[in-house]
Amino acid sequence: MRWLGLVLALLAATLAAIVLGPASVPAGELLHSPIFWELRLPRALLGLLVGGSLGVAGASLQSLVRNPLADPFLLGLSGGAGLGAVSAIALHLGGAWTLPLAAFAGALLALGLVFRLGLVAGSVLDPRVLLLGGVAVGAFCGAVTTAIVTLAEASELRNAFLWLWGGLSGASWQTVTLMAVYVPVPLVVLLAAARPLDLLTLGEEPARHLGADVLATRRRVYLAASLLTAAAVAVTGVIGFVGLIVPHLGRALFGGRHRVLLPASFLAGGILLVLADTLARTAVAPRELPVGIVTALVGVPLFVLLLRRWTAD
Amino acid sequence: MRRWAPLLALFALTCRASDRAATGGGGPAHRIVSLAPSITELLFALGAGSQVVGRTVYCLYPPAARAVPSVGDGLNPSVEAVAARHPDLVVLYRSPQTETAARQLEALGIHTMMLRHDRLEDVARTAQLLGQATGHAAAGDSIARTLDSLLSPPVPAPQARIAFVVWDAPPIVIGGGSFLDELAARAGAANVFHDLTAPSATVAIETIASRDPDWIAVVRDSAGAPPPGWAARSEWRTIRAVREGRFLNLPPDLFGQPSPRAPEAVRLLHRMLSQ
Amino acid sequence: MDRGLILDVRDVSFRYAGGARDALAGVSLAVATGEFVALLGPNGSGKTTLVRVALGLHAPRSGSAAVLGRPAGEWPRQALARVVGVVPQREDNLFPQRVRETVRLGRYPHLGAWTAERAEDRAAVERALERCDVQGLADRWLWALSGGEYQRVRIARALAQEPQLLVLDEPTASLDLRHEMELFELVRGLVDGQGLAAVLVTHDVNLAARFADRLVLLADGVVRAAGRPADVLRRDVAEAVFGWPLTISSVDDRPQITPLRRHP
Repeated sequence: MRWLGLVLALLAATLAAIVLGPASVPAGELLHSPIFWELRLPRALLGLLVGGSLGVAGASLQSLVRNPLADPFLLGLSGGAGLGAVSAIALHLGGAWTLPLAAFAGALLALGLVFRLGLVAGSVLDPRVLLLGGVAVGAFCGAVTTAIVTLAEASELRNAFLWLWGGLSGASWQTVTLMAVYVPVPLVVLLAAARPLDLLTLGEEPARHLGADVLATRRRVYLAASLLTAAAVAVTGVIGFVGLIVPHLGRALFGGRHRVLLPASFLAGGILLVLADTLARTAVAPRELPVGIVTALVGVPLFVLLLRRWTAD
Repeated sequence: MRRWAPLLALFALTCRASDRAATGGGGPAHRIVSLAPSITELLFALGAGSQVVGRTVYCLYPPAARAVPSVGDGLNPSVEAVAARHPDLVVLYRSPQTETAARQLEALGIHTMMLRHDRLEDVARTAQLLGQATGHAAAGDSIARTLDSLLSPPVPAPQARIAFVVWDAPPIVIGGGSFLDELAARAGAANVFHDLTAPSATVAIETIASRDPDWIAVVRDSAGAPPPGWAARSEWRTIRAVREGRFLNLPPDLFGQPSPRAPEAVRLLHRMLSQ
Repeated sequence: MDRGLILDVRDVSFRYAGGARDALAGVSLAVATGEFVALLGPNGSGKTTLVRVALGLHAPRSGSAAVLGRPAGEWPRQALARVVGVVPQREDNLFPQRVRETVRLGRYPHLGAWTAERAEDRAAVERALERCDVQGLADRWLWALSGGEYQRVRIARALAQEPQLLVLDEPTASLDLRHEMELFELVRGLVDGQGLAAVLVTHDVNLAARFADRLVLLADGVVRAAGRPADVLRRDVAEAVFGWPLTISSVDDRPQITPLRRHP
């Protein structure tokens, strides 16, 4: 029943996203309009893919770093992506795909750094090390980014921060196809790790005694979740709050078993982002709000409802 | 209520003077530090170039300005760097950050002038204020007259519709609150985003597409003649002007800030639109 | 190696990285099917370390450890989890969980990454809940349980693994008298009724002596005494190990130690 509700919500959100928008397109003309085919439809699909990626990444990472407040961007990826993007602009690198590629490269760099930190001194990707390492790497990248923006003379740098704020404005069939091809592999890896993740929530030692390969699981989950997040950041900038709250919504509705939680988080993340983006496009039309603000505005009341349910239980 | 009236009047008086003029002093300033490119350009246009002893790193016009030593950023100025030039007048672009810097400069005994000109009519008044402060009052009045003669006739009927795209990710366009909007109107082009009161705003690509401008104006050196990189992306090609390659490359020294050469900018834009 | 033994640890020595002395020095432990062995000793005597080495979590510097005749280090993790059910000292649940959910985790050693749960898995869970007398709590949240109930649930999870050996590390550390007795009765019942072997690490010497078949007394990483309770809990041995004057009495034909006051 709940799955049906989720799927219906998904369809409703997608429908709203392709019908509503700042440009008024009469319903009859929708299918003939390039606005529908080239702008709204790819944008809605990208929203589903990116929101879903962030939801799943958030759910897995919260279990991995043993922190219910973890967000995919807590592990330094947003800092790395911002550094990559700003460096590309400061070096005046042109090209239509430069920004996403540079952001992706920056995120990968941060990913590698944190991963390396997690293996220092024989550590088995200890959750606390990952978390602290991620925060440190993120802060460092952020500082270097700010230094570049302060020192370099490219006036477009001030606009780079707007890009970092996140948005689906760059959605096109190319980005949708790229994401659609890229996302399944990390997704499958995470789903395959669903049972070991369940065991890891008991703690390292109980998990081991129940047959989990702790290091291998942590490695796979960290890499897959981070790769999903890196792709999301490269394509849409930093959209906060989705990865934080969607897993909790999923847990409240479907329980903590990852075999169920991960797919539910994917769907819920997609719904949340598509709804938020539709609001961002239409609430103050013709102007557009940064979608990261709307996800927080929509997400916080949901979160409060959740908290009340928890304490009432 | 009676008691408050004189206080209110005093308050209103001080508020109405939206530009704080130089305090005290006697004759014209001889060592001026300019903290905005538009101000630097104005000072040189007034003939006061030799009196400028400091500029921001972004002040690149006119070319003679580059010979003046730079004191760094203008919106977040280094008070020490400014003071090191021993100025008798510092002219700042008014904003919350520069208010702080101005207070610090005044505390050092340096006179400051806070100006704000987002639109062309403000430039006229600024020219007069600066003209008086630098001993070039006549030049200031002359510039003001030129700008007034540009702005006083009624706006011509628009021959074309134009959108100024400043950034692509996210898409940022120029609205009705900017001098670019005024320049376009005087050149015979209606800014399709004139209804937005802010100088600039983020919009969705579909909004630009649905408003269907005839031209997309981009402020960049004409040397980069091919269309900007984002024009090749499929989502931008839903806009007719992008598909048809109808781009106007506006040189930054004329169109990058409100300037006394506005009439020249209008003429250039008018010529580009006629082609 | 003797195939009737579930655990066969011979003469192992082990030191933790950076440790000042050996945590285990020449320790042997043999546990046969259907045997209830209690590991006793003061804090830091090496009880938990012995369990870890026995199960292949640490490689000993010398000596050998085998489970069902096969070297402990060679057992694939999941396969080992189908043979040995461990209830460790500490567990830290990250998110709220219900009793049935946590017991279900005990079936994971029998499930691959993609296999769905089968009827036999659900049945095993119900059996485990029943044997530990917690089926009435199946839908309760873990955080709402009492200490005793929580420990029984953890044992149920280990039982759901359908192991041949149950290992419990200080399961009664924070339990009151009644729940302690219930737990020892439960383990004894499982050993007698299901033919499980059990290794129980505890501080409670007297209850161990009452319920276990054999005692192993460790001190400073060395086995001071091993065998039937009556042979191990003799006054001279016990006093030397525990470092306190004792008197030995008898309950149910089992020796019970009572510490004496130094200043009566």
